[in-house]
Amino acid sequence: MADKITLRRVLRLLAISAKMDLVWLLRDTKFAMIGVLGDIISNLGTVAGIFLIAARFNGIGGMSADEVLFMMAYSTLVSGIFTTFGTGNNIHISRIIGRGQLEHLFIQPLPLGVQLATNGFSPFTSGKMLVGVALMAIAVSRLRLRISFLWVVALIAYLLTTMTIIVARSYLVSSMAFYAPVAMEEISNTAIEDAWLISTFPLSGMPAFIQIPLLTILPEGLVAWFPSLCLLGKPPLNLSPYYPMLFALFITLIAGYVFKRGLNYYVRKGANRYVPYGFRR
Amino acid sequence: MLYKYMKTARMAALERTNGGVAYLFPDILIKVFTLIPLVYLWRVVMSSGADVGMSLEQMLTYTYVSALLADMLVIKTTATGWLSDGVLLKLYGRPLSVFGQLAAQTAGRWAPMLLMFSLPMALMAPLFGVRLIPVSPLFIVSLLLCVTLGFAVDFLFACLSIKLRNMNWLVDRTRVAIAMVFSGTIIPIRLLPFGLADVMKYQPFACLGGSPLSIFVGAADAGETIALQILWNLILWPAALLIWRKSQEGMVSYGG
Repeated sequence: MADKITLRRVLRLLAISAKMDLVWLLRDTKFAMIGVLGDIISNLGTVAGIFLIAARFNGIGGMSADEVLFMMAYSTLVSGIFTTFGTGNNIHISRIIGRGQLEHLFIQPLPLGVQLATNGFSPFTSGKMLVGVALMAIAVSRLRLRISFLWVVALIAYLLTTMTIIVARSYLVSSMAFYAPVAMEEISNTAIEDAWLISTFPLSGMPAFIQIPLLTILPEGLVAWFPSLCLLGKPPLNLSPYYPMLFALFITLIAGYVFKRGLNYYVRKGANRYVPYGFRR
Repeated sequence: MLYKYMKTARMAALERTNGGVAYLFPDILIKVFTLIPLVYLWRVVMSSGADVGMSLEQMLTYTYVSALLADMLVIKTTATGWLSDGVLLKLYGRPLSVFGQLAAQTAGRWAPMLLMFSLPMALMAPLFGVRLIPVSPLFIVSLLLCVTLGFAVDFLFACLSIKLRNMNWLVDRTRVAIAMVFSGTIIPIRLLPFGLADVMKYQPFACLGGSPLSIFVGAADAGETIALQILWNLILWPAALLIWRKSQEGMVSYGG
């Protein structure tokens, strides 16, 4: 019998994940801190490259170096939210599907969606979030932006929208793992991590045939560039500042439909990946 | 003896396409979608007219060749995952040297992407205004030294993953990030601002991808660059062998 799902129940589930994260930090502090540090280095390495180019050339394609810094700060915040809520492979869902680990979730007395939404919460070891906040504060200060309540609401709305696009796109492409578990186990990694560098490119000044595919087919332009320019009051390409929200809705609907079809296939076929001595085939 | 390693390389190449060649398409798509905007990013940046000691043509060629030879410029073997992915069991269960197997497997895994991404994109290079002829034949020597140094660096990171008790995902991500900034494969070292370029050009990561690429486009003194690569090979290979020998005793594997 599944538990009744209330907001209180969801918060308690998040608290369980947070507690496990804290326990890791307290019992294995040295390795947990190394993990946090490594995560921060990996993110800074990604955003530093583009910022260093902007600093060297005094901006990129009409964006000043400080505006590029703002964009990198936004990208780091997104990465921080991703790490805070997605450490259980719950966003890299193709790994869970491809490894035949969905069964682990099926036996829990909780709906699949609730488990996936709560089991990757790790607020204590997500150092990237702090780096993102710090970078954002520096960028805002250097740009002398006037921060109002509405601006903060807009920032939160864009961050949520960006996360929705990332999660929906991951679930959309990960649906292939239902049909080809071994070959597609890492497809979410390809869609998120391998494509992350593209999302840090300031697309300003590039030709339309580069910009438009990156706002539609491979929406990396919506991960940092487009929302950053909207927050700076300069929505690009004469598009509405609400375009990312519309795109997020569109991709969520498609991902939901495709994922459900894949799930129906999976419950009939399964994925037998583990060899007798413990490793995956 | 060489035949066994050739077979190992062939098996590794086929392993990447076991699920079907079509499943490599997402990786190829991401590579193409990264390369083309990067080419245009440099066009936009270089149009500012800032003097960085490299022409637009050199910069585009540098970026393009970097994408085509990406796997060779920063070596990644399967060693970092040897505690979690069953690599350990396979490597030590065969009558071949561990290093030899890792090298053969790594080279074999290059083949599908070289054929399906690098070759077609090399043929399409003129469409992007990129000329793929090296300024100096010493590029080949530098590339070989880059590959050998890359294996030494990879083994050191693999030893780190043993020390960090299976945090191979973290070691891998950190390595990628460090290589991205310090190897010069994305941004040439000489373009780094704040005086970083003068300091960074002597560190070992600069002797990876950035060195052969700089020689390819004629943006570095080939003799000096190769001498530095030889020096870092002489320093890091003994270090890698020594640390690896000590690290073997620390391997603990319990599934994946």
